[in-house]
This record gives sequence, C-alpha cells and structure tokens, in this order.
Amino acid sequence: MHIPDGYLSPTTVAVGYAVMIPLWAYGFKKLKEKLDEKTLPLLGTLSALSFLIMMFNVPVPGGTSGHAIGTALIAMMFDPWTAFISVSFVLLIQAVVFGDGGISTWAINSFDMAFVAAFVGYYTFKYLKNKTKFAPFIAGWFSISVAALCDSIFLGIQPIFWHDAAGHPLYFPFGLSVSVPAMLLAHMGVFGIVEGVFTQIVYTFLQKRAEKKAQQEVAA
Amino acid sequence: MSKKMKVALAVLVIMIVSVPVGLLTSAPAFGEWDPDYYLKKLGFVPKGMQHFPQLQHPLLPDYSLPGANDVLGYYISAIVGVILVFAIWFIIGKIIAKKHSANS
Repeated sequence: MHIPDGYLSPTTVAVGYAVMIPLWAYGFKKLKEKLDEKTLPLLGTLSALSFLIMMFNVPVPGGTSGHAIGTALIAMMFDPWTAFISVSFVLLIQAVVFGDGGISTWAINSFDMAFVAAFVGYYTFKYLKNKTKFAPFIAGWFSISVAALCDSIFLGIQPIFWHDAAGHPLYFPFGLSVSVPAMLLAHMGVFGIVEGVFTQIVYTFLQKRAEKKAQQEVAA
Repeated sequence: MSKKMKVALAVLVIMIVSVPVGLLTSAPAFGEWDPDYYLKKLGFVPKGMQHFPQLQHPLLPDYSLPGANDVLGYYISAIVGVILVFAIWFIIGKIIAKKHSANS
C-alpha cells in the first residue's frame, strides 16, 4: 500500500497534503495533551511493531505480495489520533530511509494506512469489544481492508483524470476496475487475516498482563 | 518497567529475530512496481513515473544493505528502523516534557 513517487498526479499529491497537514497538526496537538513519560515507551514499542510487521511480506495469487500494518493495535491500545500520528512517522521513516513509499505520496499513504486504518480500527473495536472476544481480530481485519480500498481508489482514479492526448495514462495506469478488486481481495482475503491475527494475539497478551497486574494490586 | 511494556518488548524481540521470514516472497506489492513492469505490461512507462525527480536517496533501499546478503541487510534494516522509531518518540517525549514543565 506504499504508493511510490510518480504514481499519483500533482493534483492528487497537492490535495493529499492540503488535507493531511491540518489533520497532522490537530493529531499532534491531541497527542501532546494525552501522552506522558509513562505511556511513551509503550507507544514507541507499538510503533516499532508497526514498522516490523510491515516487513513480513506475504505472497498472494496473482504474483504480488503485501503485509499487515499494525495501526489498529495502536489505536485500540491508545486512541485513533495517537495511532494516526505514530504510523505517519513510521511511513516517513520507510520513505526516507528505505525508499518504501514516496515522499510526494507520503500524505496519501498516511491517509490510508495511518488515518483511515486508525479510525476504522478504533471504532470497530469500540463497537464490538463487549460483543465478541474476537473484536481485535475483526477490528484489525476491517481496518486494513478499508485502508486498502482507499488506496485502490486513489490509484484507480489516476488514469481516468490524467492522460495525454493519445489517451496514454500519465501516472498509475490501471483503472478502478483493476485496482479496487486487486487490493480489496488481497487485503480481505490474506493480509487482513494476518493483521487480524497479529492484532488479536498482541492485544490479548498486553491486556492479560495488565489485568493480572491490576488483580495483584487489588489483592495487595 | 510495566508488565505491558515487558510483553511489548518480548513481541518486538521475537519479530526482529524472525524478520527474515518476510524475505520468503520476492513478489512485488500491487501498485508498487518498478518502471520495467509497465514497459513489459503496457509497452511504455507512464510519463509521470519516468520524469519524476529522484527525491529519495535511501540508505537502505528496499530494506537491503547494498553489497550485503539479503538476510543481513534485512536484519540491519529492521534494527535501524526500530531505532529510528524510538528516536522519534524520544524526541517527542522531550518536547512534551518541556511543555508540561512550562505549564506547571
């Protein structure tokens, strides 16, 4: 889902930054209000897990591969604004240091994998957490699936709006009818499952530990 | 250190150790192809991709260390990435601490 430079038209890039700069500013403000020295190490570690889980590439039929993103877990453990800012930083490091995802496309990539994934993951979990013990799995799965849908729409609209006089696309060349099913099926069918399992396992471990500790404190 | 932190760090270590699993597939991601792919598939590379100025000079391109073997490069990338993530939060922590002490 890391869209490289040159894949999106300058208009898409400009709109992306115009939307994301205020969201980043607001998210950072919220984050500063909420975080303190006690919660930062855990947030740093979960952000590092997001970076790492994106290195676990999984192949899918059709000759492509992909990975989970770890955004939903941070959103559930903290809040969606914090997760959004965390994963945006992860994406920036990936773009600058590893050439994974573009610089011009950082805003759009952050919208999909950080903003959308964080809010979808957070609210899905909030809605389901008292209804099923698989709420973390579903939140992770749904979060990356909606993020992938957004990504595929940004890619798929490129050839509709931006082509030369001969009809040759100038940027990403495949339309919505290719990009949406390809991205959505791969994420709903495979990467979303990985995301769901990762979210479920790590969330359960973290919460169990926290509950045990709370019980011990009550007992003591 | 809190129990949560210990669990999170344990997961972190397990993931770093097992990170070469991510190298088992060499298939590219959908929509992240190199220009050659379009040349083969379409017979041309879209102009916007061809002429895009090189903005990045990644130190570890595609999570590899030029000249080193893939697994070593992947390990180094994982460790460098994790350190950078922590560094960013360390700096933000300092900014927040400053703000808190300024307020109180």
